[in-house]
Amino acid sequence: MERRRSTAFSNQLRKESKSDRNRGRAIDREYARLRLKLLRDVVAVAGNEFRQFRRNRTAILISLVILPLFFTFSLGAGTGSATTRFSPTASIPIAFIDNDLSSDSSKLLQVLRSSGDFNNLVLGYREDNALTALGTGRIYAAIVVPEGFQSTLVNNMTSNVVLYADDGEPGVADQISATLRRDVQDFNPKVEVQVETRGLAQVEVIQKGTLFSGFNIGLVIVLGIVQIFATFYEIAGGMSREREEGTLARLLVSPTGIASIMLGKTLFDSVLATIRTLTVLGLAIFIYGARPNTDLGTLLAASLIVALVTMGFGFLVSAMRVGPRAVVIVEFFLVLFLFAFSGLIIDRELLRGISQEVTYVLPWAYGFEILRRTVLIGRPLISLTSDLQIIFAATIVFYVVSYAIFALARERISF
Amino acid sequence: MRLAHDSFAIASKEIRQLGRDPVSLILTFMFPIVLIGIFIVIAAAFSAPSYNISVVVADLDTSPASKILVDKIATSSIVRVTQLLPSEDQALRLVETGDVMGAVIIPQGFQESLLTTGRAFIVLQADNSKITAPTLIQAAVNREAQSLASTSGAQFGIKQVAVDVIVRPISGRPPTGDTILPGFLGMIAILGAFDDIVNAITRERERGTFPRLLLSPVNIVSIYTGKMVATVLLTAVRTTLMLIIFVLMGLAIRGNILLVYLTTSLIAVFTLSLGLVLSARIRGSSTLTVLEIALTFPLFQLAGVFQSPELLASGGRAIARILPWTYGNEALRRVIYLGMGLDAIAGDLLILLLSSLVMIPIATTLSKRTM
Repeated sequence: MERRRSTAFSNQLRKESKSDRNRGRAIDREYARLRLKLLRDVVAVAGNEFRQFRRNRTAILISLVILPLFFTFSLGAGTGSATTRFSPTASIPIAFIDNDLSSDSSKLLQVLRSSGDFNNLVLGYREDNALTALGTGRIYAAIVVPEGFQSTLVNNMTSNVVLYADDGEPGVADQISATLRRDVQDFNPKVEVQVETRGLAQVEVIQKGTLFSGFNIGLVIVLGIVQIFATFYEIAGGMSREREEGTLARLLVSPTGIASIMLGKTLFDSVLATIRTLTVLGLAIFIYGARPNTDLGTLLAASLIVALVTMGFGFLVSAMRVGPRAVVIVEFFLVLFLFAFSGLIIDRELLRGISQEVTYVLPWAYGFEILRRTVLIGRPLISLTSDLQIIFAATIVFYVVSYAIFALARERISF
Repeated sequence: MRLAHDSFAIASKEIRQLGRDPVSLILTFMFPIVLIGIFIVIAAAFSAPSYNISVVVADLDTSPASKILVDKIATSSIVRVTQLLPSEDQALRLVETGDVMGAVIIPQGFQESLLTTGRAFIVLQADNSKITAPTLIQAAVNREAQSLASTSGAQFGIKQVAVDVIVRPISGRPPTGDTILPGFLGMIAILGAFDDIVNAITRERERGTFPRLLLSPVNIVSIYTGKMVATVLLTAVRTTLMLIIFVLMGLAIRGNILLVYLTTSLIAVFTLSLGLVLSARIRGSSTLTVLEIALTFPLFQLAGVFQSPELLASGGRAIARILPWTYGNEALRRVIYLGMGLDAIAGDLLILLLSSLVMIPIATTLSKRTM
């Protein structure tokens, strides 16, 4: 009796466990089906985006050709290539007026000419006509060696040279004076071959660490800005156009989930972002000789991180039901803000007060930091944990908030 | 006579239309103010008398001379010494991890070298991935090192540098960050005209009123001239707004103010002419605006807004010389800063005018072809 009861009990247990297993399998199958549906919807949305993109020649031209090419060529035009030494003052016409006519003043001229910083020194001007010529564009500065230059040096005292600069040209006066100061710092009249000497500067400051060319520093900016410019317009502009045409409402109430729509558009834009990154890098490496200090995978990942946070912001802006004109205005101010507050023109550490606070709120500033540290310094992406955490958190917040707003919009449309 | 009459009719229609669209009206005058506000922040940061750039110092010599140097660096208005470290490795690591912007290492034997040879060196490692900070750190450390020579030179048997440079700017202005302001006025004229072209043509196309306008008895040249007159008027208002801001900021306009208006008007006319050519091909207002914004940002560098085109690499200088905007910005600087007259900027203005005259027939032909 006891044995029979025990067998029945164990049979019942076996049956329950079998039914549990079946239920578990059914749940797994359902999850797998949902996952597959999400994936299929994401691919369908991305495919639709690609089809639409292919039909729009202007969009292809702006997104994949004009933006990456124009920004990279402008950078190269401004800073020269990454492999050659570029001195901004080298070809500026500058008058050299020697009022001392001594051997030391001649040596000073020799030092400046052989420095590579002043290749366009113009002789033959007098001090008065040089001053008249300043401001006309014929010369941009005049270096005057005063009378008594040599005698002051002979008496072991510091001698002066006077620099008259056309400060109507932004940056010219500062650049010429800084370069001139650097070049004359090591001037030693007692030594014949000036370039080889270390001069009379008693406490020399030796710079350690890699110096990056203007092109390489600019490349980081171009990589980020091109992505921000293009991805924001592609996402926010695309959504607002769909809203105007009335297709967004249809898309929201279709069986395709909001997550699939957002992920599909993200997938489409990530492919475009990758093409853009490769275009900028190709130009930078093969035309301007740039050598990023990291591998291609890290570069693509860092660039995509910046693109993703911008896409998230694009979704957020488009969720606010703004029109295409407003999207363009937001884009303009976004890029302007980033130029001012993301360390693109001036390091954010140098800003003060509220402007510095703004820099710490902008997630793109961390993206640029990631690009700088990987592309220039060669830090592994994974070691930049705090920057990555902030930018990922911002991306998630943007996506989640826009998802919620779109979900509310769908509720409203459904009713 | 008919041409002038039609042009003014179109111009007054443009102004009336803008007046009826409060959002566009606010935007067209607000964006220069926002733009200038942002760049005033940047200019202020560039010309700040002091900064707080974090550096660490590793004094490996711990001699009286090195202590004086450390004190000098610590009291610098540019850098802020956050830590004194016992080893070079620790200092360099902090720079590499990005915790500080620079590290100054005073090597062992610093004082001894000064006393025996009259020369010594210090090592500076800055975070060169940054834009401005490394230059500022280098300048500050150099200055303090030279200051050590001048103030404590006798104590350690050293003297100052052989040659010093005295800088005399020709405009007589104080060396502040406002060197970019005339270029900004030019940039605002460009951006404003770009906005006007979107309002003037592309949006009319989108609304379907442009073909109607072309089919009316008004000549296409009158239509374009009228739109230009409207842009010139709007540019004059924007210029006035900017000049008021400049004067409030303490910028002295040394030249004839009418020349400033003439230059910004010609910049706007050229930009509008180029916009007319672009809008003949690109029909969507948003696409055109995005393209124009994308073109605008490199112009900050290439048209001499932030820095003189003379400081660009050879390719950049050549591009700058091809761009008529560069001549406009140059003319503005010469009038505002150097007080030069029409004779000095006539060449620049002529280039702007001729470039516009070349663009308008191209725009007319393209517009007719794509109708």
